[in-house]
Amino acid sequence: MNALLPLWAFWARATKQFPVLQTLAPFVPVVLLWQAVASWGPFPPAFFPSPMDVVRNFQMLMYKGILPEYLGDSVARLAAGAAVGMAIGIPLGLLIGLSKRAYAALWPIVLFFQAIGDIAWLPILIIWFGFGLTTMAFVIVYTVVFPVIFNTVLGVRSVKTDLYRAAQSLGAPPWRILFEVVIPGALPNIITGLRNGLGYGWRALIAAEMIVGTSGIGFMMFDARRAGSVTEIVLGMIVLGILWYIVDAWVLAPIERATGRRWGLVTQ
Amino acid sequence: MKNLSLKSLSKTYFDPYAGSHYTALHDITLDVPAGEFVSVVGPSGCGKSTILNMVAGFIPHSGGEILVGGQPVKGPGPDRGVVFQSFALFPWKTVLENVGFGPKMRGVPKAERDEIAREYLAMAGLSHAADRYPNELSGGMQQRVGVVRALANKPDVLLMDEPFASVDAQTRMTLQEELTRIWEERRPTVLFITHDVPEAVFLANRVVVLSKGHVLADVPVPLARPRVWDKLVEDEEFKDLSNKVLALVRSA
Repeated sequence: MNALLPLWAFWARATKQFPVLQTLAPFVPVVLLWQAVASWGPFPPAFFPSPMDVVRNFQMLMYKGILPEYLGDSVARLAAGAAVGMAIGIPLGLLIGLSKRAYAALWPIVLFFQAIGDIAWLPILIIWFGFGLTTMAFVIVYTVVFPVIFNTVLGVRSVKTDLYRAAQSLGAPPWRILFEVVIPGALPNIITGLRNGLGYGWRALIAAEMIVGTSGIGFMMFDARRAGSVTEIVLGMIVLGILWYIVDAWVLAPIERATGRRWGLVTQ
Repeated sequence: MKNLSLKSLSKTYFDPYAGSHYTALHDITLDVPAGEFVSVVGPSGCGKSTILNMVAGFIPHSGGEILVGGQPVKGPGPDRGVVFQSFALFPWKTVLENVGFGPKMRGVPKAERDEIAREYLAMAGLSHAADRYPNELSGGMQQRVGVVRALANKPDVLLMDEPFASVDAQTRMTLQEELTRIWEERRPTVLFITHDVPEAVFLANRVVVLSKGHVLADVPVPLARPRVWDKLVEDEEFKDLSNKVLALVRSA
């Protein structure tokens, strides 16, 4: 047992110095299992590629410049879709959350349209806009908007009455209460909405790229199916997972730490 | 500082389920002269917080008048500073930004309002906490910030709604002593709502006892100042007054 202690100490020091090790460690057994099935399993390599096949495919696609270009296309679409989705969703959520009339007028409509999933729009969008960017833009904005609206409304409702009253009795007019109280108070929920919206939006984008795309990771995967390259499909799946982890850990989590958690509005 | 005057103030609610009106307060007449500290006590449900919410302008009154310096109250305004039981500090603002919020709303430039905020924080012994967020402070410290934030906006009347009800007993005594000290220095006009009889007597020039929506008694408190608990707990006059008010509240 004591022989393991130096090993443990080494691991503790290594993860402290390189926190990324902590993230990678759980994948070690997964990759080992994958390699084992590929080596000793009954499947031919063309049907079930090994990790090294995927790595070689990755190097090849990087060398040809296909993967960076498609990845760039997908990420740019997600970013643009998220920006437009927030620009529509946050003001609409604030309006519905603050005004009883806006709630009465808009809430049933919002519920109705959120039930029509993003992909369910594709048939009519293809007829209207054809195979291309407009259709994909519509799908991703549509997917991002609803979680942002719902969570913004929730956030506005969660601001305590006493905070409005305090601001009023300190002389704040309504438009300043909007910026000083309502928006910061709703911010943790808005970020949650953005997180959900981006997650759904990312999936919807890949699906849309498969059906109507001419570039992007989703297109690459579906195109690989036509060519019968299982390796490239698996590579696409891995890229999706890694990319989402990066967006979540490097973009969304730091924003959450700097706002809701710092203010004590979100428990640790 | 200005005087606060309530004339035949009343509040009725319409209950849409019962289809009838319910009278929470009737015919409240009360005058708080400029620079005086008045406590309002009464059992729960007697309408004392309703009075404060109407004076603050958070809820409309049904009848009578509320005058601050002779001017009728229409909605919330910076002439009436409010200290809340829930503290109601803005969690996304530092202590300094919270205290500087009123001046900010008046359009005071940043450097100047920071200076005002620091001056008031120093008064409450909170200079070291200026750059911290409210959730990083204890309850007692949060409410010190709440009091100082209301004062830094230089209100004509200070309204306090059971401000010390949610802090522990020892901290409460300290906060009460600090409040009397600040009141002696600055002489704000204060309307203080509480259900704690010794607290009401300790702080006030006058204690108003409320019962079932009307004023039951108006008891002057001629105790000498400065007031500190060490002296007053054994003081016969304080004990007599407290017992008298307590008897009134319990009969209410």
